[in-house]
Amino acid sequence: MLISYNWLRELTGTSLTPLELRERLTMVGLAIDAVEEKDSDAVLDVEVPSNRPDCLSHMGIAREVALIESGKIRPPSSKPASAEGRAADLTSVEIRDTDLCPRYAARLVRDVNIAPSPAWLTKRLEEIGQRPINNVADITNYVLHELGQPLHAFDFAKLSGQRIVVRRANAGEKLKTLDGVERTLDAKMLVIADAERPVALAGIMGGEDSEISIQTTDVLIESAYFNPDAVRRTARKLGMDTEASRRFERGADYEDVLRAQNRCVELICEIAGGVATEDAIDVYPSPMPTRRIAFRPARVENLTSLNVAETDMKFILTGLGIAHTEESSAVWKCVPPTWRIDIEREEDLVEEIARHFGYDKIDSELPPSNQSGELQPRELKIRKLRRTLQTLGFDEAINFSFIEAAHDNQFELIPELNTEDPEHVFITLKNPIIESEVRMRPTLIPGVLNSLRHNLNHGVRSVRLFETGRIFAKLNSGELPNEREALSLIATGGAGEENRAQALRETDFYDLKGSLEAALAAMNRGPLRFTKAQVKHLREGQSARILLADGTPIGSLGRLAESVSDAYKFRQPVYVAELDLTRLLAAEELPVQYAPLPRYPSVVRDLTILVDRQITLEELLRTIEEQQVDDCRGAQLVGTYEGANIPEDRRAVTLRIEYRSDERTLRDEEVEERQRGLIESLLRQYSAQLH
Amino acid sequence: MAESQSQEDPRTQVEAASKAFEHEFERFARFTGQSAAVHGLTLDHAESEQRALAELRTRHLGKKSVLANCKKSIGRVATEGRAAFGQLVQSREAEIVSAIEQAETKLKDHIQSARTLRESIDVTLPGRRPRRGHLHPITLVRERLEDIFVALGYAIEDDREIETDFYNFDALNIPPNHPARASQDTFYTIEGLALRSQTSTVQIHAMQRRGAPVRMIAPGRVFRRDTPDPTHNPMFFQVEGLCVDRGITMAHLKGTVAELLRRMFGSKTVTRFRPSYFPFTEPSAEFDFSCFKCGGSGCRICKNSGWIELGGSGMVHPNVLRAAGVDSDEFSGFAFGFGIDRMVGLMYELDDIRLLFENDVRFLEQFD
Ligand SMILES: [Zn+2]
Repeated sequence: MLISYNWLRELTGTSLTPLELRERLTMVGLAIDAVEEKDSDAVLDVEVPSNRPDCLSHMGIAREVALIESGKIRPPSSKPASAEGRAADLTSVEIRDTDLCPRYAARLVRDVNIAPSPAWLTKRLEEIGQRPINNVADITNYVLHELGQPLHAFDFAKLSGQRIVVRRANAGEKLKTLDGVERTLDAKMLVIADAERPVALAGIMGGEDSEISIQTTDVLIESAYFNPDAVRRTARKLGMDTEASRRFERGADYEDVLRAQNRCVELICEIAGGVATEDAIDVYPSPMPTRRIAFRPARVENLTSLNVAETDMKFILTGLGIAHTEESSAVWKCVPPTWRIDIEREEDLVEEIARHFGYDKIDSELPPSNQSGELQPRELKIRKLRRTLQTLGFDEAINFSFIEAAHDNQFELIPELNTEDPEHVFITLKNPIIESEVRMRPTLIPGVLNSLRHNLNHGVRSVRLFETGRIFAKLNSGELPNEREALSLIATGGAGEENRAQALRETDFYDLKGSLEAALAAMNRGPLRFTKAQVKHLREGQSARILLADGTPIGSLGRLAESVSDAYKFRQPVYVAELDLTRLLAAEELPVQYAPLPRYPSVVRDLTILVDRQITLEELLRTIEEQQVDDCRGAQLVGTYEGANIPEDRRAVTLRIEYRSDERTLRDEEVEERQRGLIESLLRQYSAQLH
Repeated sequence: MAESQSQEDPRTQVEAASKAFEHEFERFARFTGQSAAVHGLTLDHAESEQRALAELRTRHLGKKSVLANCKKSIGRVATEGRAAFGQLVQSREAEIVSAIEQAETKLKDHIQSARTLRESIDVTLPGRRPRRGHLHPITLVRERLEDIFVALGYAIEDDREIETDFYNFDALNIPPNHPARASQDTFYTIEGLALRSQTSTVQIHAMQRRGAPVRMIAPGRVFRRDTPDPTHNPMFFQVEGLCVDRGITMAHLKGTVAELLRRMFGSKTVTRFRPSYFPFTEPSAEFDFSCFKCGGSGCRICKNSGWIELGGSGMVHPNVLRAAGVDSDEFSGFAFGFGIDRMVGLMYELDDIRLLFENDVRFLEQFD
């Protein structure tokens, strides 16, 4: 909202400079974005809060300035219009839809001389960014910026039947507005019509047909109060935003209708000549109720800690036009002025007093402390997860929560979101901002793949990223969507070291798996199990399902399938994992408990067997465990070998078996015997050979 | 005695051995004396000389050496010449030992320093250090904020990101026709649910769950329909704080926000409150803080005003307390909120906040 400093000074006689005004208005809640010096004037750009339509005029700002300076408003005055005849003898006003138009006043000025505006008027309007048109149109615009009441001037001769009908449009009815656009109306839109057709979009814009032109002699000046919601709805629907609609949709002053109209008519008579009717037709069937607010002065200190003297409170209330009477010393009855539609309750009055008394006078102190804060276990776990992944070389990614529908069937979702009916999983946005990104992501993978592509395109070939964030899927109808926290990892390129040009080796499946295990171990979650699995977006033979120790599946891990890789134009192996962090955080914590240290030494024996390539390490280890060999404390992988000197369908697996007794030091012969037994059962079970 | 006389004169034997040693030792002589010539000798050569010297010692001083034999025969020498002979043997032996040891010491020292030199390394080569990752700047700032509020006695809360109109608007006293509800500003699912446009939603959930008094902050993602540009994103992170108790006033709000900003931007930071309007607070205030870059004298970051606008705040509206089931006559509270992304943008002087969600490694690497 642009405000002319000179205009403001006419209304207030302010002694503050434009820059002082900027400071003072800002501190009462009217922030000034900019002050621009313009020949012998200054223009203030005021950021008017959305609940203060009263400040969308010079008068509104003037009221605040007057109170800031403890001064008085100097209301604008003009010569009384030359008047003759009664409006009702010349025209009529009918409001058919009083719910959308509670008040409508019409007054005529006849024999006007349409011409360009005088220089002072043109200059005023141009300064505040308004384009002058002709004297009558400019005067309505001038009064709008002066008093805040939108007005409209019709060419009276163009009104069929010489009358005004305020009604809802008929569906499909058409109106060509002043901007030259033909609008098709719906039955919820309010129009100003004449005897036959719409001549204006109520509270938004006039029609082209009844526009003031150089031939116009008689004008009908409309001043009305329209329902804010109705104006907003119509303006939105038609994509319109005008000086008038902006004020009506926030709420105009229904008691200012006649005063503004009178000011406008007086100025027309003065500038464009003509004779006004003596009165206006003012249709206002059910006056708006008066708001009365019970106000306890003590609430000011209760809410703000400000200790304001009652005389100061009364001074501020009076300055803002808020009538007040003392019902008792503890309760005052307040009636806010009709232009202050934002004041509805006691707290609003507290704010009025506080802002004019000065927020800067409020003390600054911490509230008395009565409890200590603490990070929740969940937050602590996630912090450990982040720190561990960071140490392992992963950068943290954050992606938008919306993705393209093109990803719909590209990825297997975590088990919790995976349903029989994939079509009905997705949460879809009605009004996306990036046109193609209509889905609330049910997986983090497309996001990290996008981030990877961005990095590869910028010449970074070794990338490790992780992201944690919400994923979404539909639940049963009537239920709110399922929201779960997920973790996604991605790794590709070299397994790098700082400050070295070349990676020591290429990243593979076990890098990602190990990182995941390390991160989860840091959260004291695990051990995890990994089973060979078919996963839609992963390459067969290098993909695994991730399970909790109790067998609950929580995600997947593996090398990105060629089909997905190709779609992203990746030319190097990419490894991805995703898992259900919500489930993981809910899983039982591993108890940390002390176990006595061994008293006798361990003996280890390595064994290498040649087994079918399909036999997994997990199977071998389970078999060893199942044998329950005396004093056997478990087995660990030393390494695997396949290739030269080994049949293609087999591989060599070397395991280290640990033996230890709690009672004594084991003798070599005992260990040998046990190891022999173990080997025999492995060979039998897997048709294996010793290697 | 007769036996020994039949042999060569033992003295002659000793002298001959001594002569033979001198002859063989000639090549090592350069390793003795003041001007020992080990300079320029390679490590390999020095080591082979060391071995040769050891052999020389064995030959001339070993058990089977002439000198050793002569020593054994001292007892058999006639009494009158025995002492003199003994002295001769010992002095010749001492001469040999001394010569060898001198050379040995020199060689050994040389070998040691040559070896040290050969095994010296370039300490400026990079240490073996796996590449470290980097946390997202939003996470870094968020964790700092969380730590500050935890220290001030606040709990950290979060809740749904897809919300009903009740939590996203109604409970926050946002009127039915408020522009924020329009699909121009707020994302809706086709089922008509809203993507939360502020984390104030969490306040309602938390008050319903925990009742009053309550102190909490809610950091998290929020969504507003802004087209991405250098200063906007359709998704960003926000933190909202809430303190509801008996006797809470705006002074507590000012004190808390000022304390936060001092801890984030330094102890000299000044906070300013301006009246403003938010549906969920009354009275409402926006807060600015003195520019951490120029200290208030004006610079690019504060657009020459000396102040940086950060967020909104106020006393929780009675309608909001009521919607959350808190008695507004008994309790009062303050709430405040601001963008974490905005704070990140300020702290690191980002010229384009879209960088925050591109996840360019070259960008992420700059934060730690
Ligand atoms: Zn600055």
